[in-house]
Amino acid sequence: MRSNAGVISVTIVALFLGLLAVTQIAAQDVYSRSLQLETPASLTTLIANLSERNNAIKDEILDLRHRTETAREAIAGGKGSLTEAERQLSQLRVFAGMSATSGAGIMVRVEGTFDERALSDLVNELRNAGAEAIAVNTVRVGPRSWFGATADRALTVDSVAVRGPWQVRAVGSPEVMYVAMTRTGGIIGQFELIYKGTRFDVSRESALDLPALATPLR
Amino acid sequence: MCDTFHVTTAPSTERTRLTHSLVLLLPAVLFGLLVSVQWRTQAERNELTVRYNTPLLDAAKSLQNEQNALKVTLAELRAQLDQIQTSASTQSDAAKDLQSRIDGLKTVAGLNERTGDGVEIILDDARGAAAAKDVEKSICHNTDLTDIVNQAWRGGAEAIAINEERIVGSSSIYCVGSTIMVNGTLMSPPFKVLVIGPQNELLATYDDPTQLRDIKQRRDIYGLGFRVSRATGLHLPPYRGALNVRFATPR
Repeated sequence: MRSNAGVISVTIVALFLGLLAVTQIAAQDVYSRSLQLETPASLTTLIANLSERNNAIKDEILDLRHRTETAREAIAGGKGSLTEAERQLSQLRVFAGMSATSGAGIMVRVEGTFDERALSDLVNELRNAGAEAIAVNTVRVGPRSWFGATADRALTVDSVAVRGPWQVRAVGSPEVMYVAMTRTGGIIGQFELIYKGTRFDVSRESALDLPALATPLR
Repeated sequence: MCDTFHVTTAPSTERTRLTHSLVLLLPAVLFGLLVSVQWRTQAERNELTVRYNTPLLDAAKSLQNEQNALKVTLAELRAQLDQIQTSASTQSDAAKDLQSRIDGLKTVAGLNERTGDGVEIILDDARGAAAAKDVEKSICHNTDLTDIVNQAWRGGAEAIAINEERIVGSSSIYCVGSTIMVNGTLMSPPFKVLVIGPQNELLATYDDPTQLRDIKQRRDIYGLGFRVSRATGLHLPPYRGALNVRFATPR
């Protein structure tokens, strides 16, 4: 009897143990993340990011409504829609990297050890901050650009070698991009911790001239 | 008999009791440990959720819903303008030529739907015991996705989408806390990366042992989900976000 009671006790405890272990693993599912696990600080940043994106879409909706109306009126007046088509074409040529591009923006100068993954991260960060056109040294970064490295420590953009010191130039809002790059805990701060001895300089630029993609996309 | 029995079995009974106690000791300690960990986990989350996160969470979800609706409106307006221009392009050769160039640019820029063969890449957080070894290394990060996308372009990709978000020249894969945003859209794992392009070259570039070493190592050691497979008849949506060309002018 006593032996049976022992077995039953152990079984009950083991069952509870199993149940709790499963509950704990499920509760800790870090690993399946959701917004609910974010800190208030992270959620605030997410909200700011979403608001910026939504505002950009709203601006474009207003712009498109106006352009649609103008094009309709032009066609109705027998003028055709060449003006709208030309405007769209020039916008798309910038967006696709198919035309040389000018405008205000920022320049990130990197002197010292750097690698292709960091360059890719920097370009990603600039795009998130609203960069409209980017070039590394004299090579334009396009919609399908990829970053690599050569054996002699040069970096490559679409197989074209670019050697340091690197000048990453981005056309877009100078203020927004400058703050995004240099904020506390931002990408430049992280780079400075990782690539000790490498110098990173970020500057606002009133006029940048970027080349077009060397090989047009097909 | 009984006395003899008692005399002879007394030490044995003690041993049995001791054994039972020891058998129960370890599960009991574990039981207590798990109960306390479970209680603390719940307590921490509830506190955060109730005090701060609920209104912020609602705001984030509401903004994401708003964004989805705005993208639908934007797509409709783009379609309307396309229609106006397409019908106007029949009026002159110059208009026809312009329209043809616009259509070509839209395709290479990712503003049109794209169908074709290519590869499918699944990236997911590790599950199970291996994941507990190192949380940081067992979950997917935005940099994993940028590496995967970089590798796809290297392999000759013509079009890429991550969880239905098309990757274009202005796309960013951003991370806040542990939430990933692609083109400003909130996402969580698993990530399905669809790539249209030359299948053999793409598979070869992902198989290359010198590439994506960090992801492959984490897959092998921590169980990070990463697999690449051949895929046919892929259908990638167009980019649905803003074009955002305000400061840049063509020369």
